[in-house]
Amino acid sequence: MTTTTTVATSTAVSLRGVTKVYGRGPAAVRAVDAVDLDLPRGGWTAVMGPSGSGKSTLLHLAAGLERADSGRVLIAGADITDAGDQELTDLRRTRIGFVFQSFNLIGSLTAEQNVALPLRLAGRRPRRSEVREVLASVGLGDRVRHRPREMSGGQQQRVALARAMVTRPEVLFADEPTGALDSAAARTVLDLLRAMADAGQSIVMVTHDPGAAARADAVVFLRDGRIVDHLAGADAHAVADRLAGWER
Amino acid sequence: MFRISRAGLAERWTLFVGAALSVCLGVALVQSSLLLIISAATLDPPPGLPATERMLFTQNVEASVAMLGVLLGTATFLAVFIISSTFGFTVVQRRRDLALLRLVGGSRGQLRRLLLGEAVLLGAVGAALGIPAGLGVMAVQSWLMRTMGFVPDSFRGEWRMWILGVSVGTGVVLAVAGVLLAARRAARVRPLEALRESGEAARVMTAGRWITGLVFLAGTIAMVIVAPHGGPAGGQAISLNVPMCAAAAVAAFGPLLVPAVARLLPTGAGGPLGMLARANLRDGRRRSASIAAPVIVLVGLVLGQAGAATSFTTAGIDEQRRALRADLVVEATGPVGARVAATPGVASASTEIEIPARVTYGAGDDEESENGAALAVDPAAYAAAHPGSERVRDLTGRAIVVGPGGDIPSEGTVRVELPETQLGDVRVAGGVPTTLAGGATLLVPAGLVPAEQLAGAPSRSFVRLAPGTRAADVIPALAEVGRVSAVDDWLTADAEAKADTNNKIMVVVLGLGGLYALIGVVNSVVIGAAARRREFAEARVTGLSRGQVVRAALAESTAVTGAGLVLGFVAAGATYIAVLATTSAVTGTATLDLPWRLTAAVVGVAVLVTALTSVITSWSATREQPVGLLGARE
Repeated sequence: MTTTTTVATSTAVSLRGVTKVYGRGPAAVRAVDAVDLDLPRGGWTAVMGPSGSGKSTLLHLAAGLERADSGRVLIAGADITDAGDQELTDLRRTRIGFVFQSFNLIGSLTAEQNVALPLRLAGRRPRRSEVREVLASVGLGDRVRHRPREMSGGQQQRVALARAMVTRPEVLFADEPTGALDSAAARTVLDLLRAMADAGQSIVMVTHDPGAAARADAVVFLRDGRIVDHLAGADAHAVADRLAGWER
Repeated sequence: MFRISRAGLAERWTLFVGAALSVCLGVALVQSSLLLIISAATLDPPPGLPATERMLFTQNVEASVAMLGVLLGTATFLAVFIISSTFGFTVVQRRRDLALLRLVGGSRGQLRRLLLGEAVLLGAVGAALGIPAGLGVMAVQSWLMRTMGFVPDSFRGEWRMWILGVSVGTGVVLAVAGVLLAARRAARVRPLEALRESGEAARVMTAGRWITGLVFLAGTIAMVIVAPHGGPAGGQAISLNVPMCAAAAVAAFGPLLVPAVARLLPTGAGGPLGMLARANLRDGRRRSASIAAPVIVLVGLVLGQAGAATSFTTAGIDEQRRALRADLVVEATGPVGARVAATPGVASASTEIEIPARVTYGAGDDEESENGAALAVDPAAYAAAHPGSERVRDLTGRAIVVGPGGDIPSEGTVRVELPETQLGDVRVAGGVPTTLAGGATLLVPAGLVPAEQLAGAPSRSFVRLAPGTRAADVIPALAEVGRVSAVDDWLTADAEAKADTNNKIMVVVLGLGGLYALIGVVNSVVIGAAARRREFAEARVTGLSRGQVVRAALAESTAVTGAGLVLGFVAAGATYIAVLATTSAVTGTATLDLPWRLTAAVVGVAVLVTALTSVITSWSATREQPVGLLGARE
């Protein structure tokens, strides 16, 4: 079941017939197969599916990190399908934020410098107070001068979250954000995401963890590159059951 | 962006140190050669020197300047090659870091500016270090030249203030040039590559490499074809330029050739380690090519030029032997021709007296001067002793003939100046065949030279014995005139003296250059290993012990060095083809005489240095527990 709302202003991310094929000829793999998806503004959507279902690829396509072979991708109403490199770079600086499983912080910079980086790349000089405020909002106000190797996994992920949020993006993309974290750290990160979603942030999260998906507003299920199911407001058990059903 | 560079320094210090070091040494070498060549060119003969000595001094200085020119050319080539390949390699190794910057919002332009800014900084730092280092290099090189007699004992390289600007400029320009092409490619890295584990980029043979390789290949082929038609002097000069061109061509095709060749070589490790080594070698094509490239240049340049030099010397000696019809040689002072010819048993003798001379020709703007040796000869005797010089026999009046080493016009009029005497304008009546070994610039009938000049100058008499006479009977009588030797012995002694000079030149020119290339090798191994910590950790987690990982890395670098050696020989081989063609064209026999001891030494040193560096770097890279590297990824 797919939602096909056509009111552009209320969708954060919109995919229309998006396809991505890897490889050629007989070895070709349709990672994403003619997907139609509308993700609402201010909502937190989780994308789940068995391994190889194409969920990471879907996220990369939605965020402009991969170019779709066919179809259209819109972020907050703007068509980015054929966007040039500079346009996509601007997008990454100002209108979208990323959080990944492997944190991807720059090891030689402090937490403060990491968070300020996207703004500085955009040519702005962020005020120190602004950066510290964002770090405080993820609970790391006392670790602004620490480098990633001096922090735990959970703390690094929160710095990554702060970095993604400092640009006040239209959409936050998260690829397995709790995948490398212990349960306590994972809970903290999910609490933060929940708070952001409640405050109106649009979040798209790929996850394999039913518990994480249950914290979201809605869950979309992917299998073999196609959207096969949709669940709203379910708890972890229901999500796990549905997922198990599709994994067979 | 700058702060990111500075912050990144601590993490990637091996890369940056390696790059700065390559600039430092390159600048040192080029600066030293430049200052020396200017010092030598502006060297004045010491006051109060008699005329003959003064002319000889000038000739020696000219020879030194020529040699320093070769040194400067080699130093510049090496500097360009090593600096640009080191910087290019460091950029490639940082692909993931750069992808991460792109992910966070860095544009291509910002990345390019970051890399170029770093290159300027490293170039300046390296040059700043290279300037004092250059003074040290200059002291060593001028000491070498003094000990080998190329320059007087009072010779010192002189400092010039403007060299500061030149050195810094050179360092920065070379660093930026090295980064330029690599930066363009690196800036196009896709942000997603920050998320990927795989190390290397797919395409290693870039358009730039293809173009560079094909251009240098074309140049090499052109030179090899043209060399035999360049005459003795031209052919030798061209052949001595082939090594650099050939080495550059082979190194450019490195990513294609090195893995292919390395696959055919034994790695010294069997079973799973050998398999791992070969797989890593094939996978890390860029890294393998970057390590092999300085080896290729080292071997191609050193063995190519040394082999060419020794071959030409040998060919020159054979040439001389064939162009000489004599049994004994008498070395004396002054015109002893009459006494020698009068000795019983002597059929004929050609006495040749060597005097420094200066020949001026051309008019107005085209006026040129040559400093060289004049041989005062008895025309008829000379023509008899040297087959092929019949022209000399008919020399009459105020006329000269261009000698075997002459580079002056073979007709018309020239002005000849001897020490203390002006011969004035003389007619040039043709020339004798020019030889590989060179020789006198002009042959002048002894009658034209003032007697006092002849009396004090060194002379050689080539003696032909009457048929049936035994040398032993004649030698005692001749010994009263001067030092007597059999012609073969004399040629051998002459050869050894020339070879000795050759070797000295090689040491000065190639000694420091070879060292620089060796440092380039070390650099590449270190830079390559720095990025492989994760790879080694993965191997250890799979079940290899630390020792096995080090052995596998050693096997890999042995194979890569081996491939570099083989390809270096191929590059040297191109030079040898040019040498064979030239010697065949000039002397009629293709000659190749290779310095086997030097070859063995170069091979040994290259293998030893890469093996040691590989073991040290891989040991240091496996210091941490593998899980620590693989678990929490930063």
